[in-house]
Amino acid sequence: MDLSLLLGVGRFVLSTTLILLLTVPTAFIIIYLELKVIALMQLRIGPNRVGPAGIFQSAIHGFKVLAKEDFTPDQADRPVFTMAPWMVFMAAAMSMLVIPFAPGLVALDSDISVIYFFAIIGLSVVGLLVAGWASYNKYSLLGGLRSAAQMVSYEIPLTLSIVGVVILTGTLSFTNIIEWQRLHGWGLIWQLVGFPIFFIASTAEINRTPFDMVEADSEIVAGFATEYSGMRFGFFFFAEYVSLFVMSTILVTLFFGGWLAPWPFPAQLAGFGGTIYGLFWFILKTYFFVFVSIWARATLPRVRVDQLMGMAWKVLLPLALVNLFVTAIAVVVFNL
Amino acid sequence: MRLLLDRFPNTVSDLWTDADTVEVEVPRDQIVDTLRILRDHDDFGFFFLADAAAVDYGPQNWFEVVYHLYSHRHPAWLRIRVRVDRADPRLPSITGLWEGAMFHEREMYDMMGIVFEGNRDLRRIFMSPDYRSFPQRRDFLLPDDAADSSGAGVNPLERPETWDLTRFSDALPVGRTHPGSEQTAVEAGEAMVDESRPR
Amino acid sequence: MTAVDPETRIRDPIELDRQEEERLRAAAGLGPPRAAAVEYAGFDQIGLPDRPPQTERESELYSVREGEMLVNMGPQHPSTHGVMRLVVKVRGEVVTDLDVVLGYLHRGIEKLCENATYTTVLTYVDPMDYMSAMHNEHAPAIAFEKLYGVEVPKRAEYIRALVVELNRVFSHALMMGFLALDMGGLTPILYGFINRDETVELLSSISGQRMLFNFFRVGGVNWDVSDEFISRLSTWRSNVGKAIGDNELLLTQNEIFTARTKGLGILTAKDAVSMGVSGPNLRASGVPFDVRKAHPYSIYNELEFDVITQQSGDTYARYLQRVAEIKQSIHLIDQIVERMPHGPVQAQVPGIIRPKPGRAYAAIESPRGLYSVYAISDGGPNPYRFRMRDPSYITLQVMPRLMPGHLLADTMAIMASLDPIMGGVDK
Repeated sequence: MDLSLLLGVGRFVLSTTLILLLTVPTAFIIIYLELKVIALMQLRIGPNRVGPAGIFQSAIHGFKVLAKEDFTPDQADRPVFTMAPWMVFMAAAMSMLVIPFAPGLVALDSDISVIYFFAIIGLSVVGLLVAGWASYNKYSLLGGLRSAAQMVSYEIPLTLSIVGVVILTGTLSFTNIIEWQRLHGWGLIWQLVGFPIFFIASTAEINRTPFDMVEADSEIVAGFATEYSGMRFGFFFFAEYVSLFVMSTILVTLFFGGWLAPWPFPAQLAGFGGTIYGLFWFILKTYFFVFVSIWARATLPRVRVDQLMGMAWKVLLPLALVNLFVTAIAVVVFNL
Repeated sequence: MRLLLDRFPNTVSDLWTDADTVEVEVPRDQIVDTLRILRDHDDFGFFFLADAAAVDYGPQNWFEVVYHLYSHRHPAWLRIRVRVDRADPRLPSITGLWEGAMFHEREMYDMMGIVFEGNRDLRRIFMSPDYRSFPQRRDFLLPDDAADSSGAGVNPLERPETWDLTRFSDALPVGRTHPGSEQTAVEAGEAMVDESRPR
Repeated sequence: MTAVDPETRIRDPIELDRQEEERLRAAAGLGPPRAAAVEYAGFDQIGLPDRPPQTERESELYSVREGEMLVNMGPQHPSTHGVMRLVVKVRGEVVTDLDVVLGYLHRGIEKLCENATYTTVLTYVDPMDYMSAMHNEHAPAIAFEKLYGVEVPKRAEYIRALVVELNRVFSHALMMGFLALDMGGLTPILYGFINRDETVELLSSISGQRMLFNFFRVGGVNWDVSDEFISRLSTWRSNVGKAIGDNELLLTQNEIFTARTKGLGILTAKDAVSMGVSGPNLRASGVPFDVRKAHPYSIYNELEFDVITQQSGDTYARYLQRVAEIKQSIHLIDQIVERMPHGPVQAQVPGIIRPKPGRAYAAIESPRGLYSVYAISDGGPNPYRFRMRDPSYITLQVMPRLMPGHLLADTMAIMASLDPIMGGVDK
């Protein structure tokens, strides 16, 4: 067998395993951040028992979830009920494959990583929908249907807002998009309309406050996850935070120069040093947007279903189309 | 304003006042008309139904339903008392005048067993739908209490719970559950055993 | 007699479409539309009670048409404010009908009080409306004083008004938080609780308890306020503005909050009066009815305040009404502290009171509306009949009127804006 093929397969297996393992600390960190940041914003103390300043709180949460009874309702559609959390979690985890964390630090440096990303992240809606349906619970059903309506609607402005960047950069690879930004400046400067659209739509896509209709606890208890317990619920829980992380990374990649520092990348930092340097900036920017999302959660009430859908179709979609149109004309006219 | 109540020379009796309340008694069959005039007539303007409550004056006496009204025009609460026969506790509903009387009347039905004719939603509100007794009556005794009280040996008046299917027939439920009827504890126990009603 | 006009009843757009279709078909000479071939035996059948309907209204509620389903919200639901059950009939997410099922917290307090002496009744009423325990004690105290014919010392009246207004402040502050919480805003409730904690600490420093104060006595109050309390009160006074202001910053001008509450659950003045709604909910609909002004009790005729009203009667107006009343209460507290006279705080009253036979009615303005007590004495040590009218119980009646046509998400917002406390509702 060809050695390079074998190496490629080996590299793929290794990187996917790493990515899969990476989801756990990522989710733990974000869960801890959410607990602590919201607590501080609400003038509370927050977790402070497990470890210094409670940093192991989310790990304990994880063990708790593992130790709980894995309960399946009597009338539930068992195979689907069991499969749904996996679908949601795998969608979130697999989308991490194409994220360029640093120069050379990407699991799957594909030419069509943008398309791959949206194909995979779109899978999670199927998982949520079948979770709602299979649970045989009215709240779950409502939550599942809400998730279908919301995520399908928001996928359109989300995708369209990216097409602007794609036209501008002329590539479907996240790595190349970052390279383009190194030469031309951050995508935010070029896509002043595209960024807010992407930000709002991605918040809705991952069901974060103020668009967390899917698990609106004051209305439909826990939405699609009402009947889930134990590790199955844990997967939903993990998936939510992993997708928050993923969306923040994509936001950073597309509009904030990915692993680029705010100033020109120092030339002497090639190789390993450059990777660490890039990773630092990438993680910093990503966690800034994770923080913004947590901040929004502490501040804003939830919007209503009809307002949410109205915003997707009446505001974001026309804006995204106009943005796309203007970008396309600008690219042609100014020959960017 | 006390004089204004003289508009109802034939209706009102037992007029009584204290510092901030005017109290009148109205016969049962004229209560709705009286309240309507009190609410709608400009001289009175009692637009707000503050309270409606039932009082049980004991097994030998009668029920009394008490309405408290408020008017911007008059400085006092108006208390209207209606006497209701204990053997046949019915009263016309005033939900046509104040929709808010609905919960008052449901509570009175639930707690005292007074049936309000014309109320389209007269069901239990605090007790469960299959409950059969009227716990705020003066002669209501729980089985435990009946055993422990100084008058031990008194028949408990809390009835076994069965679905009350007679609601839709013409017979009023009070006939069967009325504490004054001669139903003994034994009969009540039988009712629990023999009736194959859906539970 | 009470049948609701069907024209106003139907607000469901799909139902209107169906009627329109039938009308058009009839005009075109066609028969009625073909009934759906699908036999529904799914979610729409779950939740129906396994007994025949008892009333006309109940059979209307439980007749589930095609495309509708019943959702039982509660008694264990994250946001039913205690243990209330809402039977919500939904078509998709649109609420078409709703019923309130109560009694999960029924303790029979009225009956308990009929077996308690007049003094001990005041401890039983505390857990009624547990957000405003001071108000709960106020009305029975007034009623028993009327029955017994005892004059309350002036200072006691001032202390009563003071604690009652303090209680109103934290009750309304919490309502702001609960309203936000039921719409997904997590923070205002905690700011509300910070305010509540400060206020409750203050109240417990004179009553000895944090939640169920047991502070009122027939003929006065239990303890006098000290100078230290007054100085703590002034500290509280300087902090309270921040606690309320933070919540106002988070909510009043918040785009999402206003979009969700403006025009939501509009309660017209006519409906509100007819339904017996009282308190801030009624005033938010534009009816200037405040028992403190309409029928002054305690010392409210000596204090200067206006009846605040809002015009629109929607959820946002009910929120604004609460905010305005907090400020009004703080203003009243200032006046009370300024004018508080010296003297005794408790009239001479025996331990076991035996009033002359008679009847007394006392109504006060609780944070949720007109809270009244009707007490009958037969000359014995216990009240012969003790009746409490709890405002949130009566206010809940408007829910089936307000909800239809709104989305499921709005049921909780509207309910939180009505601010029912189940301890009071279920007695």
